[in-house]
Amino acid sequence: MKILLIIPSYNEEENILKVYKEIQKSKQDIDYVFINDGSTDNSLKIFKENNLNYINLIHNLGIGGAVQTGYKYALENNYDIAIQFDGDGQHDINYVETICKPIIDGEADFVIGSRYLDDTTSGFKSTFMRRLGKNIISVMIKWFWKQKITDPTSGFRAGNKEVIKNFAKEYPSDYPEPESTVTLLKLGYKVTERPVNMKEREAGESFANAWTSCLYMLKVSLAIIVDSIFRRNGGKK
Amino acid sequence: MPLTLRLALIAITLIYILLILRSIRRKKMNVSFSIFWIIAGIILIIFAIVPNMVEAVSKMLGFEAPSNMLFVLTIFIAFYLIFNLTTIMSQENKKNILLIQEVSLLKKKVEELEEKINEKKQEEK
Repeated sequence: MKILLIIPSYNEEENILKVYKEIQKSKQDIDYVFINDGSTDNSLKIFKENNLNYINLIHNLGIGGAVQTGYKYALENNYDIAIQFDGDGQHDINYVETICKPIIDGEADFVIGSRYLDDTTSGFKSTFMRRLGKNIISVMIKWFWKQKITDPTSGFRAGNKEVIKNFAKEYPSDYPEPESTVTLLKLGYKVTERPVNMKEREAGESFANAWTSCLYMLKVSLAIIVDSIFRRNGGKK
Repeated sequence: MPLTLRLALIAITLIYILLILRSIRRKKMNVSFSIFWIIAGIILIIFAIVPNMVEAVSKMLGFEAPSNMLFVLTIFIAFYLIFNLTTIMSQENKKNILLIQEVSLLKKKVEELEEKINEKKQEEK
């Protein structure tokens, strides 16, 4: 099984090598590709000097466009599983195996690493407002698709070949996680969750203030509702 | 409408249509986009030539003043135009993203191939 870690990275010069070392430490046989999303810091230099495997986007695209580039790379190079992995040190490499297992066993097409599935796995649960937002999205997905997704905004996710093919073709550009999950549900793929640990960001800054959070909720809700209502039975895979 | 105002309106509109035609010739605007603007110009000229028509139509539709009808019409058309532009912009944006992604992927491939070629050359030496 060829497994690829897609690591979108925007101005993460302090975290690149940390993430890389963690990947090297892990016993699993996995490939990785960094997507340098037009970073304005020294990221590109670090990628070059350390001879890492990276794709340098010629212009900043935002998280959705960057991750999609990774899926395109996975499709071109014939990977069986692609895993989205954050470049900021939030995700724990030890759980790659956990979220790959349902795919390898053929139990699911797409696995979301969840912070909320059980109370013990993850110490870091994010702020109250973020949890509220995530709960609203969960309820909406549950209501439209009768499936409980406890952590719809999680960026730690794994998909099989079919999912790679779909995401390479079509992937939302901003705040893509919940929307892309709904798209998969709509297309009839099996989506499941596994508990994972997430750490608090070690370096770099997260993007989140009151205004962007509000905008986030609006955009995501609208995307989910439109996706769910208008194209409900649209095209089974 | 006084004659001077009508003549001024006609003159300005003619200049405006000429400008559009010039921008088509200089390839600054698509022919399909320009059609809209040319039609708008022609309508303006018709209004200037027969202002009674505007008055009659606005009365028929129940507007209190012909200018009101013109304002409402302009706003509707402006809305429609802006809506159209946002749609076009979204599509262009999508194409842009696709281009950036594909070019970046290709660049990576080219660099890898270059490296391979260089390695081979060194081996031969």
